[in-house]
Amino acid sequence: MNTVFALWKRGLKAFIRNRTGLIFSLIFPFFFVYVFGAIFKNDFIDNPIAYMLSGVIITTVFESSLNLASATVDDMVSGFMKEVLVSPARRIAVAMGQLLSAATVATVQGILILIIGLFVGIKFTTWTTPIYILFAMICVGIAFSGVGLFLATIVRSGQTFQIVKTAITMPLTFVSGAYIPISMLPNALKYVAYINPMTYATAFFRMIVLEKTNLSTAELVKEGLAIDINGFIVTPFMSLAIIVAIGILFLILSTNSFVKTDFSRVNRSSNDASALWG
Amino acid sequence: MNSIIQVKNFTKKYGDFTAVNDISFDVEEGTIFAFLGPNGAGKSTTINTLCTIFEKTSGTLIIDGKDVTAQKSEVRSTIGVVFQDSTLDAKMTIDENLKMHCVFYNIPKKEVEERIQFVLNLVDLLAERKKLVGALSGGMKRRVEIARGLIHYPKVLFLDEPTTGLDPQTRAHIWEYIVKLQKERNITIFLTTHYMEEAEICNKIAIMDGGVIVAHDTPYALKKEYTKDKAYITTEKGPELEQLLAQYELKFIKKDGYYKVDAENINPLLQVLSLQKEVITDIEIKKGTFNDVFLEITGKKIREEA
Repeated sequence: MNTVFALWKRGLKAFIRNRTGLIFSLIFPFFFVYVFGAIFKNDFIDNPIAYMLSGVIITTVFESSLNLASATVDDMVSGFMKEVLVSPARRIAVAMGQLLSAATVATVQGILILIIGLFVGIKFTTWTTPIYILFAMICVGIAFSGVGLFLATIVRSGQTFQIVKTAITMPLTFVSGAYIPISMLPNALKYVAYINPMTYATAFFRMIVLEKTNLSTAELVKEGLAIDINGFIVTPFMSLAIIVAIGILFLILSTNSFVKTDFSRVNRSSNDASALWG
Repeated sequence: MNSIIQVKNFTKKYGDFTAVNDISFDVEEGTIFAFLGPNGAGKSTTINTLCTIFEKTSGTLIIDGKDVTAQKSEVRSTIGVVFQDSTLDAKMTIDENLKMHCVFYNIPKKEVEERIQFVLNLVDLLAERKKLVGALSGGMKRRVEIARGLIHYPKVLFLDEPTTGLDPQTRAHIWEYIVKLQKERNITIFLTTHYMEEAEICNKIAIMDGGVIVAHDTPYALKKEYTKDKAYITTEKGPELEQLLAQYELKFIKKDGYYKVDAENINPLLQVLSLQKEVITDIEIKKGTFNDVFLEITGKKIREEA
């Protein structure tokens, strides 16, 4: 338990100390809100700023929690994970500490953007909305921290990993409806969106932020908050179930894989791009 | 004396390749034990297996009465490890690194501060404790690692090339700390090094080559067995010297401009020298070095990797 808490604190400290990173992580989302908000001003969205912001917040939570992959790979490259390995600390506790700290940092980043968002266009009419938002961010944060940790345990080289990570996260965020409504995507990309877990995270989160929980299914589909896969409607509730399922799956996968990983494998000398994945 | 590390018939294979082939050795409690060998001799494999990182193929490895394979967690609490590459968290301060380590090793909260002061004092870093590790010099980092390796009061401290890549002054300091530790806390120190002169400080030395231990003794005994003192003599009258050396049964090799003479028996040599004192222009006696021991045993020159 102490190990979990100590690693959690370590993650938060690293987050707070990285001032430049913190500031940019706040500026970047508003840049997106500004650009995409202006481009996609259309009839069926009545509050484009809030619509964009909700997408941007959940994307930030997603990217920030996936960053656990880079952070963990860094820890392997710097040798810190080797120190963990020869200590009596339980590996599962180490995995938990890493997961919780990443999920917390991701949630805190989401909250920071949300707070700024409150000044530029997001409005809540009931006090339950912020609680639901917090809950959704924590869910998404934990689920994708699990994905991030899993990626870290199967990676072979630290240097090229960053590039691969960007190559994966960029399409996932752009084809999720967070910036560009799915209805506006070309058909081929729509199918990519349907298998993209971020699509469901975005739809569910957006429904909560825009306080559209009491809309009918047809209205939800019209607003892009429920996903219509050739007639099969994925309701926000099902979206949540998908996220939770992915979360549980990757928590099991990642902790399992983390316990078995040989951390001495990734080191300073392994920079061969072709040997990236095992 | 009590053997704190016992290795019996340890073998480690990677597929068809045998990295370590059936080695056995003991390390006595409270001594400094050096593990030498050229790169690829099987040193790292042995050390990593003792540190619970690698799995053995066969044999028994016991540290402080605990089996390295079956009682990993107990062994891990007993040992401290300082790897060749830094394993510190560069984004955190010295203090935070040490505190994190205390959490991993379940040190009671109320003892943490006292122990941090103790170990940092030992390596003269008490004043820098609030500094970020990333901002420290290479030598300081190594000292932090040694301090960290000690904070849970291990019975055995593994040091994998503790002084590689450090300047001579820092190396001397690190050795001071190591010897101090061994004397004051009776810690057993198990180390590898590429610097032969450092190996001489140790109580016992094992030399590995090709996966087996080729020599295992005190530095003194190894030197006595494997090296010979040599005299390098320059003279105006070579043939006369040659004749005398032969007469006194002293082996020699004629080199370009000087004679390299076997100086194990000092008396006949002195006789020759006194007879030739008028014509000898220069003489230098060289003691056998540990490098000679190493070369003699492994047959190749050890590389001093920086």
